[in-house]
Amino acid sequence: MAELGRAALVVCLGLSAYALLAGVLAARHGRRRLALSARNAVVASFLAALVASGVLLAALLGRDFSNSYVASYTSTKLPFQYTVSAFWGGQEGSLLFWLLVLTGYSAFAVLLNRRHEDVIAWTVPVLAAVQLFFSLLLVAVASPFATQPPPLEGRGLNPSLQNPYMAAHPPFLYLGFVGLTVPFAFAVGALLARRGDELWIVLTRRWTLAAWTFLGVGQLLGAKWAYEEIGWGGYYGWDPVENAALMPWLAATAYLHSVMVQEKKGMLKVWNVSLVTLAFALSLFGTFLTRSGVVNSIHSFTQSSIGSWFLGFIVLVVVFSIGLILRRLPLLRARTRLESPVSREAAFLYNNLLLVALTLTILWGVVFPLVSEAARGEAVTVGRPYYNFFLRVFGLPLLLLMGLGPLVAWRRASLRSLARALAWPGAAAIATGALLVALGAGSYVPGLVAYTFSAFVLASIAVEVVKGTQARRAVSGAGWGQALVELVGRNRRRYGGYVVHAAVVLLAIGVASSSGYQTVREGRLRPGQSLAVGGYELRYQGLTRRWVENRREDRVLVAASRDGKEVALLRPGKNRYPVEAFFSTEVAIRTDWLTGEDLYVVADQIDADGTVYLKVFVMPLVSLIWLSGAVFVAGSLLAMWPDRREARRLAQRYVQPGALARA
Amino acid sequence: MARTRSPARLVVALGVAAALAVFLLYTSLAGGGTPQLQPGDLRGRTGTVQLTGRVVGPVRGDAYAGGLRFRLRDIAGPASVPVVYTGTVPDLFRAGRHILIEGQLRDGVFVAKPGSMITKCPSKYRPASQGAGS
Repeated sequence: MAELGRAALVVCLGLSAYALLAGVLAARHGRRRLALSARNAVVASFLAALVASGVLLAALLGRDFSNSYVASYTSTKLPFQYTVSAFWGGQEGSLLFWLLVLTGYSAFAVLLNRRHEDVIAWTVPVLAAVQLFFSLLLVAVASPFATQPPPLEGRGLNPSLQNPYMAAHPPFLYLGFVGLTVPFAFAVGALLARRGDELWIVLTRRWTLAAWTFLGVGQLLGAKWAYEEIGWGGYYGWDPVENAALMPWLAATAYLHSVMVQEKKGMLKVWNVSLVTLAFALSLFGTFLTRSGVVNSIHSFTQSSIGSWFLGFIVLVVVFSIGLILRRLPLLRARTRLESPVSREAAFLYNNLLLVALTLTILWGVVFPLVSEAARGEAVTVGRPYYNFFLRVFGLPLLLLMGLGPLVAWRRASLRSLARALAWPGAAAIATGALLVALGAGSYVPGLVAYTFSAFVLASIAVEVVKGTQARRAVSGAGWGQALVELVGRNRRRYGGYVVHAAVVLLAIGVASSSGYQTVREGRLRPGQSLAVGGYELRYQGLTRRWVENRREDRVLVAASRDGKEVALLRPGKNRYPVEAFFSTEVAIRTDWLTGEDLYVVADQIDADGTVYLKVFVMPLVSLIWLSGAVFVAGSLLAMWPDRREARRLAQRYVQPGALARA
Repeated sequence: MARTRSPARLVVALGVAAALAVFLLYTSLAGGGTPQLQPGDLRGRTGTVQLTGRVVGPVRGDAYAGGLRFRLRDIAGPASVPVVYTGTVPDLFRAGRHILIEGQLRDGVFVAKPGSMITKCPSKYRPASQGAGS
């Protein structure tokens, strides 16, 4: 079976190489049949990747330990769902998963957009080049189909990865990382085809949005995993590997905003191509970080040889893109100019500057150990204070801008109309701030500012929705409910965006509350003793032990009560995995759904004499972070939902290739 | 490129300048960062550093009372230093593992900041001694 997998990868490599060469030839000399053949090679490479993935999956499920990868990441006792997730649990498998997603995306992206021959002709070789890189890695450097004399038992999957969130987190990240290849390939394809218009943006809008959504959800899943599994009472530690996913997401966020300016005003063309390149390069850099071990991180996977390959490929991508953009500068002239620093365009521009600044400061923090080692001979790391500082400096103005932007008119806004639009949201923000100061939230100023800005954003969204519904009612004479449905249905992208904004507000409130206003206590307890934390009383009742599947579970029974009433029986503890020779700490969390507050208990140590060392966190409003994920997905789906009216309009606009470029 | 100057460029330039200013302000206020060293580089260092190394047993004591005591050795080299650590011990901590701790040298003993220990958790979490595929 391993031979079949290896053969499929070689076929995939060959097809990608063919698609690259034939695609370039066809596009240069305008040969349609050859272009068609290159496109079909990309589609066929997806089938080859499917076969290879099927072989690996079969080997995993059949626990075929003669396959080194299977023996390294599974064991006979590993539950079914984690045997499947072992597919992307290790380096070789995750690269194969990457290739599978990439070829799948490529195949569908070129098939769905085959009408736009001139752009697709050049997009095919770009996609093929990226595929070539990954299949080359899989064939030559990190094969998931290496064989060995089968051992009796596999090594098992890292128990901290045996968690539903961790099973789902990598595929979501990859769907996002890889998804950013599509807009990049179309952007480069359009430039190679000498098109300076917005066609590539329009064609890839939903791809980018989907990739961005996957990336965002993937990060929230990772945060939830860290919160439940790592047991340090947090969800984001500014670890290089976490930042690896955040950076492309931020760059893609900037891109999603700035393309609206190009679509509407024909400005920021160079900026947009640069941003999409940045997002793609950062997604490669993210993979490089997680897979190379160059930066110290809790995730540093074993040092491997693929690091230098990735670095080389990233340099190639960046140099090629910059060179191409420079050569096509005359095509990328803006149609219009920014007329006023107080306008929607300008607000988008400020938003972009802040997002890119945040992205680059995070990037600087991540590579700082390498830079300082090269410069001073000593690696210096920047820690959480650095990131927190810049998150506040750039993030809080971004939050404010999220409320301001939608209120500012395009082209040129008069200060008087702006002041009128700001009246309600401004009043809501000031009232919220005053109320919170009265309640004592002033103990943590960044939190207070975040709350006030959040109130401003929510109020400005509400004003927009109410105004829009009123206008819709005046036109159609429908009732409030129906007018709202019509309004949202006719402007899905805009209102989807507002829903996403609301999600970001929830996230900001959740992060500010749980980090700025949390209570922590720890202590050693004997059975019967108790600990008081933030209004809760925790009584240690005793220990339990049992065997489940592949692990032994020791649990500390803790009765939590509030105002003399017992609210929960918590079971923090430790699991022991004999096959993997490994312990894992299991936290216990009690969520108060009414207040969104979590009581978070870690049994740091269980002694032989029955005493335990408990660490307890009380985290207000932390549930809003997870809620924001659901709202985020809802908003993205709304913005992505197919819109026939829009499709018709765009078809009219782009039906004659080049018509717009000449205009 | 003979064009009238666009305010967009001005805004971008100002934005970049502002970001740089903030950056400089931060680095001047908060100083650089924490140097990352191995036990062999530690001699004569006073300030707070981040220490990377391999845990060498025996591991004695209690991290939650009096402190966990062990030695940390260079990843590739013989130099080592005694360490005392208090606070949460990550699940992966064990003799032989690579860890990161923050702290400073006091009278020949590296005193770690409470709860600063990070264990490196490779996805392949056992040293690749058997013939691995890559």
